[in-house]
Amino acid sequence: MQELRELAAQLLRDGAVDVVVGWEDSPRGARPIFAVTPEDAGKLIFDTRCLHDLATYLNPRRKQVVDLGKLALVIKGCDAKAVAGLLREAQLTRDRVVLIGVRCGGVCEDSMAPAPVELTPETVAPRCHGCDNREPRLVDHLVGEPRPEPPAPLLSLDERVAALDGLTPEQRWEYWTAQFDKCVRCYACRQICPLCVCERCVADKSRPQWIETASHPRGNFSWNVTRALHLAGRCVGCGECERFCPAGIPLAVINRKLQQVVDERYDYRVADDPEVTTPIGDYRLDDQQEFIK
Amino acid sequence: MSETRFLSREALKALVAELVASHTAVVGPAAAGGPAIPGLEDRQPPTHKGIFGALEYREVHDADELRLGPGMPRLSLKQFFLPQSEDLFSWKQRGADVEITETPTRFNARVILGAKPCDAAALEIVDEVMNWEYADEPWNGRRAASTIFSLACGVEDLHCFCPSVGVTPDSTKGADGLFTPVDGGWLVEASTDKGRAFLEAHAAHFAEPPSDAGEEGAAFRAGALENVSENVKIDAVRVRDWVDGHFEDPFWATLGIRCNGCGACTMVCPTCHCFDIVDEEEGVGRGTRRRCWDTCQASKFTAHASGHNPRGDQIARYRQRITHKFAIYPIKFGEVLCTGCGRCVRTCQMGQNIGEILVAIDAYAQERAGDAAAADAVAVGDEKGEA
Repeated sequence: MQELRELAAQLLRDGAVDVVVGWEDSPRGARPIFAVTPEDAGKLIFDTRCLHDLATYLNPRRKQVVDLGKLALVIKGCDAKAVAGLLREAQLTRDRVVLIGVRCGGVCEDSMAPAPVELTPETVAPRCHGCDNREPRLVDHLVGEPRPEPPAPLLSLDERVAALDGLTPEQRWEYWTAQFDKCVRCYACRQICPLCVCERCVADKSRPQWIETASHPRGNFSWNVTRALHLAGRCVGCGECERFCPAGIPLAVINRKLQQVVDERYDYRVADDPEVTTPIGDYRLDDQQEFIK
Repeated sequence: MSETRFLSREALKALVAELVASHTAVVGPAAAGGPAIPGLEDRQPPTHKGIFGALEYREVHDADELRLGPGMPRLSLKQFFLPQSEDLFSWKQRGADVEITETPTRFNARVILGAKPCDAAALEIVDEVMNWEYADEPWNGRRAASTIFSLACGVEDLHCFCPSVGVTPDSTKGADGLFTPVDGGWLVEASTDKGRAFLEAHAAHFAEPPSDAGEEGAAFRAGALENVSENVKIDAVRVRDWVDGHFEDPFWATLGIRCNGCGACTMVCPTCHCFDIVDEEEGVGRGTRRRCWDTCQASKFTAHASGHNPRGDQIARYRQRITHKFAIYPIKFGEVLCTGCGRCVRTCQMGQNIGEILVAIDAYAQERAGDAAAADAVAVGDEKGEA
């Protein structure tokens, strides 16, 4: 923690950056902080509650963050994948941001806990299971001691997907109908997504109205299916959409299923290397195409 | 308030059964749930667990479904008066002929049992804007068809702050009566003619309160008020005046910086009432006009056809949320557009905390007022010196 604070204070003191975005403690648990003075940097923390994907603040749509000037961003390995996504899709230039990587031993699911949470199968975030990037490589500085691997969760995302795959199409339809029925169409899932970068989202277009605004089943299905498909092969699995959903829709399960499909068909797993192209942005002669008839 | 009656747990069961049998919808806090599929149980993020999110207001068919105790439903009562989307009318067009079918604005009788006092109070506050220059028929129709009994609240957590905005945990504002939990049931008081008529119509279920219940109920209510009073200490008038007079103050930039503009706070808010009206086509020459919840936190909310957006960034949009609630509405209608339920704080995954922000604004306003007074004093002193 001290290493992180000293580095951030140094960057601010030297004028290398205008603001350091990381985490702080608050009456509502861990949350983002925008440190602009070396004193602010003293509030930085990193613990198991720091599950927010702060790469979302690099999204060019966030004008108020762009206006702050040059940023340093504290990132975990999973967040680095989102930064790579933004670089890959030309939404960010590498010189706009100083990346401070933290060695991560997994996070919990409750950012709002009053104190750091010990990781157990009950508390660990399912997405941390089998993480291949606990030491981010796409960084300018790497801080913290190496941490042990997180425990396996009670129920992994793959197990949740398998439970869904085990249903009949009718049961699946019933399940998703009930889930999407809860949608209030606030688009929190889109707003928080580090990779939902469209200047104008298809859901906001009204001439023609591609996606109906009303929260009836047709509108809710259109929105949720479109959101998922636009992120196929791009989603980094940070799980922020599910966490932000005020209605409790299990969006991470949909995203995980799509990751599985993309992996199976295109042998592609999202990485923190911006040079690796995505299936949607790449063409290979040996791409499977038997579905084209 | 009228005479206090007592409703036992058994009598509540009979009352709900009687209402359901007479085709009166009964709505109240009940366990939130979805279809149970092994491995796919309705999953609540941990931050939604505990007091928040385990409950939802919904129609019940048996009193056993009601959870008349601690806990705050994830969404407020708003959805029962201003649904997430509702049909206004449908149309059919053939050439120049347009046939309009209006949606009825008379509604079946409905009783809401166990409303959070902050949620019921919000209805009365929003009544003002819904009857300002135009009487909103669907809203008023649903209000007229509903009888609401609030449940005296024991206060949920440190994010509750109703007294800071003029509501109390045992308020009957916006409701027709109040339930206060006591041993074996509830003390029930009516606060409006509608509430009194309800108690009379169902008098058989209500009894004389047990002798010590009055004291027990009063102690519960006093304890709750004491619990919540220290949570957010502000002077709402000072906040209003500062917000009203400092639209361009640089302080705003520090208040909205971490906000993502997701709008979840406005969806869960009992008083946020902005909507979008859309025409949805349903085949050639036919469709339905609907109104749907909207949010001032979305950039599209104020996007002009020209491409200009007067609220060009999230700082401006967050300022709007605070300004509408704590200055514009109080100045126009004499009421703060917030009942201190704390849902927005519990919902915000980035840690935007309206209680903390109100305290910060109040402190900033006080500090500035102090500075200004000091500057005035110096100026006056200078003048005297010169004289």
